[in-house]
Amino acid sequence: MSQLVKLIIDGQDYEAEQDSLLIQLLIDKEIKVPYFCYHESLGADGNCRMCMVGIEGQKRPQIACDTLIKEGMIVNTKTDTIKQVHTDILELELINHPVDCPTCDQAGECSLQDFYMEYGLHSSKITIEEKVKHNKAIDLGSNVMLDQERCVLCARCTRFTDKITGTHELGIVGRGDEAKVTTMPNRPLSNPYAMNVVDLCPVGALTSKDFRFSQRVWLLESADGVCHGCAKNCSIIIDHNKLKYKDDTIYRFRPRRNDAINGFFICDTGRLSYRELQENRQETPLLDGVKISEDKAIEKAKELILLYKRNTSIIIDANLYTQEIEAIVAFAQEIGADVYAPLDIYRDEAFGDDMLRSSMRAANAQTIINMDINTQKPKKVGLILNFNHPEKFESAATINFLTHTRAETALTLPIATFTESSGSLTNEDGITQFSKKVIHKNIPVPTLIESLKRVSQ
Amino acid sequence: MSFKFTEDNLLEIERLKKRYPAPQALCLPSLWMAQYQEGYISLEAIDAISQVTTIPAMEIYRVATFYTMFHLEKSDKIEVDVCKTLSCKLCGSDEILKHLESKSDIKINHVECLGSCGTAPVMQINDKNYENLTNTKVDAILKEL
Amino acid sequence: MRECQIVSRKFHIENACTLRVAKEHGAYNSLVKLKEYDPQHITQIIKESMLRGKGGGGAPAGMKWELMPLDDKKPNFLVVNCDESEPGTFKDRQIISKDPHLLIEGIILTCYAIKAKAAYIYIRGEYKEYQEILQNAIDEAYSAGLLKECDITIHRGAGAYICGEKSALLESMEGKRGHPRLKPKQKEPEWFFGNATLVNNVETIATVPFIVKNGADAYRAYGTEKSPGTLLFAMSGHINRPGVYEAEFGTNMLEYINHYGGGIKNGKKLKALIPGGVSCGVLTAKECEGLTLDYEALRSAGSSLGTGGMIVMDEDTNMLEALKNILEFYHEESCGQCTPCREGSGWSDKIVGRILEGNGTKEDLDKLFELADIMNGKTICVFAPSISTVLVSFISKFRDEFEAVVS
Repeated sequence: MSQLVKLIIDGQDYEAEQDSLLIQLLIDKEIKVPYFCYHESLGADGNCRMCMVGIEGQKRPQIACDTLIKEGMIVNTKTDTIKQVHTDILELELINHPVDCPTCDQAGECSLQDFYMEYGLHSSKITIEEKVKHNKAIDLGSNVMLDQERCVLCARCTRFTDKITGTHELGIVGRGDEAKVTTMPNRPLSNPYAMNVVDLCPVGALTSKDFRFSQRVWLLESADGVCHGCAKNCSIIIDHNKLKYKDDTIYRFRPRRNDAINGFFICDTGRLSYRELQENRQETPLLDGVKISEDKAIEKAKELILLYKRNTSIIIDANLYTQEIEAIVAFAQEIGADVYAPLDIYRDEAFGDDMLRSSMRAANAQTIINMDINTQKPKKVGLILNFNHPEKFESAATINFLTHTRAETALTLPIATFTESSGSLTNEDGITQFSKKVIHKNIPVPTLIESLKRVSQ
Repeated sequence: MSFKFTEDNLLEIERLKKRYPAPQALCLPSLWMAQYQEGYISLEAIDAISQVTTIPAMEIYRVATFYTMFHLEKSDKIEVDVCKTLSCKLCGSDEILKHLESKSDIKINHVECLGSCGTAPVMQINDKNYENLTNTKVDAILKEL
Repeated sequence: MRECQIVSRKFHIENACTLRVAKEHGAYNSLVKLKEYDPQHITQIIKESMLRGKGGGGAPAGMKWELMPLDDKKPNFLVVNCDESEPGTFKDRQIISKDPHLLIEGIILTCYAIKAKAAYIYIRGEYKEYQEILQNAIDEAYSAGLLKECDITIHRGAGAYICGEKSALLESMEGKRGHPRLKPKQKEPEWFFGNATLVNNVETIATVPFIVKNGADAYRAYGTEKSPGTLLFAMSGHINRPGVYEAEFGTNMLEYINHYGGGIKNGKKLKALIPGGVSCGVLTAKECEGLTLDYEALRSAGSSLGTGGMIVMDEDTNMLEALKNILEFYHEESCGQCTPCREGSGWSDKIVGRILEGNGTKEDLDKLFELADIMNGKTICVFAPSISTVLVSFISKFRDEFEAVVS
């Protein structure tokens, strides 16, 4: 770490590392300056010219993203001159940008809109009728839609495919006010992280085909969560809401910054996994494929457990929360059952990469290993209690505890998904995260621990 | 459709590689070679240049669209680049352009300064400059082509 | 008016582009000095000569040379800027087509001084004809064993004005779009693939042989105290004998125009003049009176010397049309990297277009001034500030003409 130096911003004292980027300090300290092109994960590019600040001793305003912090630096972000510069450049940015926020899907989470409101450009001087026309709805591939007219050419998306994924699908072509973001003809955006460009885009140019026009963002509630797509456990934001007469529904997963795990990004598989999570839910107990009451199901389960005492194996899904796994292990000891968590089924070499995707596609596999649970397949036994493990094993009888429906005739009890319960996960690097219950269904499905309690009473 | 540099061009590429500290420098030279070879720059040519320069194809595509002298589409017509910048305009390029626009079998490109301000007005066809233009001179030049 | 032939000495000699003829007239004579001087000494001479970069900026060349590290840790490079794209400028093409060996001689000397083993000449794509003449000369120089110590490679651009900006030029040479780089925080050389690189204009390098051969004082004997030496000034537009004529700095502008250019075409009167390529502020005929051709005089006149390529406009010139023409150029050539330039170049062009069509308002004029202010000093390179200069100088100096057509 380099030396700490003192500087003054808007009359306040601050300390920062010498030669670190001024804009990062401003962002960290929540000192508002407008900016489009800078992003911590992508570094400075200096193209949008929005983040102008006054530096004492410098004749002209300087961009904060290209200013290195020095001892004794005096920075002004709120003077009239600086505000005027921000307004002026913003106004230029809007020349060829449609100002139709109410119809734009980005409305509510758009930097351009925020700045535009903040700088009060409601009645703009811009009177050019012939804005430069571009394409409005281009399917770039990988669920990403592009509106070239809304683009401010900050190059965050192109820098992402250049620097982060190294897949180089996106680029700015042409020049001057004809410059635009595009893919090469017939070479769509195609990489496992493509949809991160939607989050990176500061305006409504890149939108998610999956999410666009499904909800206005101000109607959504955001909660912290952890992706269950693989053993990486990327931190996510779960955007959901519970509209009148409707059930609590997730509309999207977004990456939540976590420098220890996923940085700023998540993979598209994880991002879109909210859909499967909500489809084909196991909501009621079943026996021979027929719905039965919960009481009856519990009673039947107890019978079977008693019948196969000392002849039972328990199978655990390696995606369950640690607290759930612990409860199951305790229960197993109580009834004298062997515990297995076969991991082979989760291994997917094609999925894994050296970024954020682990070839171990089970969120809590590390806990299974840490707890020394047998990861082999179970031997044939009388009764198998399967706690949501994806495989089916041979046995005389089976009790399933399932989040999602399966073609099964065995006794099945429904359990809550990870968003409907709380607990901890430990990722493959040993980092543990706790998630709170986010989704509150109109008719809640019992959590695994609740079901287990009833069965063991 | 595939693109392959001619033997001569491949030799030239090898020769040039030795003259630069990094293969990326061959981007513009090989774009030129491809354009002379095919009359335009095809996507296949971009892939071949990507191989030569180790630059991703998209980056080459961006470069090719940045420079006005590269054409990404084939044109069967003779390209006539007429300078429209100030010195040429002061010396009557508007009239030359008007005159040229009456011709059918050519494609007129209004280009910015060709660096022949002292011999304005000027046009360029197939890399050759035609200076001090008059309508009669233009007719004679086009006839010869 | 003193005749000057520091760079243009062989321009009127037939076939001086060939090695044989060039040598007959003294080409490569300065190379004997390489036996006498070490590299630092040559840089010292250039510094003492106060040679100023002749590509438009006029920065002292010697100071740029001094920034080059001579420790042999990494290779150094010389890049000669022959992108000559500033409208009104056509001097470098005279050198490469009429006396290319002078440039090669300058390159050999410069490479020696900065310890570069390779030089590149970045030539604009439109100069194919002259590129061939230059390549022939380089081939001849190789055959004659003149290029044993440094390689010269011509690198052809492909139509982008901005590549004349040195950092955009290097980006272009590195196989990228010609986007100017962010300015360094301290004085340092340019970088070509991470190697220290000197970028100088063709004419600057072509001046080096004279200085090395005759000494710094011989060069400083020409010109003014602060703008020593000569420049290939040029004239185009409404002038009887347009062309490139070398003159010393400090020469009276109108005398130059009359002496070499034979005055305004068709006996008309001078109305306005752009002194050094369109990016320099326009001057009225009155402002030209008594004005001398040197950096300081033009700066005090509120313009700049630029490349010395003067565009002459007679009394019948429509200044609105002239301004529109220049703005179209900028609109077409903006690289599009920075917001103020990308949007401002197009916007100003459209507003002036609207005024020209008779649909402009008085507010449009004020708007153009505001726009000029927004574009000034807020971008990576000086492209947008140039548009500001052009806008402000045209509208303020010919306000009547603009006001006459707005409602």
